[in-house]
Amino acid sequence: MASIPLKQTPDAPPAETLEQRFHRLAATWDEATAYLSSMEEASKHPAYQEIIGMGQAVVPLLLRDLQEQHRHWFIALRQITGAQPIPKEAAGNVPQMVEAWVRWGKDNGYR
Amino acid sequence: MMRLEDLFPGLAAGGYRITSPRDKDYNCIAWAAGDSRNWWWPDPDLEEEYWPPGHPRERTVSAFQGVFIALGYSVCSGEEVEPGFEKLALFADELGKPTHAARQLSGGRWTSKLGKAEDIEHALHDVAGEVYSSVVLLMKRPVPGTGPATSESP
Repeated sequence: MASIPLKQTPDAPPAETLEQRFHRLAATWDEATAYLSSMEEASKHPAYQEIIGMGQAVVPLLLRDLQEQHRHWFIALRQITGAQPIPKEAAGNVPQMVEAWVRWGKDNGYR
Repeated sequence: MMRLEDLFPGLAAGGYRITSPRDKDYNCIAWAAGDSRNWWWPDPDLEEEYWPPGHPRERTVSAFQGVFIALGYSVCSGEEVEPGFEKLALFADELGKPTHAARQLSGGRWTSKLGKAEDIEHALHDVAGEVYSSVVLLMKRPVPGTGPATSESP
């Protein structure tokens, strides 16, 4: 019996890694909210909400990006981890808020 | 990256100058208040934004006005240069929610910190439009050094 040659299907696009997905969403969010002052309003953007939905797995990426880029991941980190390491007197001081979260990350086994 | 002129079409016609690189550490309200080290905004119950103690954390023109009164400003009606005074302009959307503030420079142009982006020098109404809507309040104070101390800045 003659065999029927298998039809080659085109390769499916490679699945996006967690890191690639994060960077794509972060770039989308950054551009869409660059001119807003309200962190709360910016955090409602769908890309930001999708990042929050990635859960604990994205925390190391958030902490690294926060430290390197100072992008405002404070609400995402608070919502995912339930922690709030920022002292009241540091409210609004982005470098101090970043430092507080980076310290929290180290204390909690990230990096 | 979207160009500034795409979001603020007025800038293309009026001309503007970028006066700082992008910076995520301070915003328009801080910049208008003379502070380039903090992020000022009154989102309720948000512990990540600075708002002067004792002022309501609400996104209303009166809340912003109260903060600037405490910094020595009073309401005024004209946007022209007045020697010995500096002015600021508050923008708000059609619901009366503040969106942006700009500060007048001594030559009559205005300076704005655009959210997490750059500082620019521009004509006042050239940043009005879809993003920041329009000017709803003008205030002025004596040029610092001749007026009340700004002790509320963190």
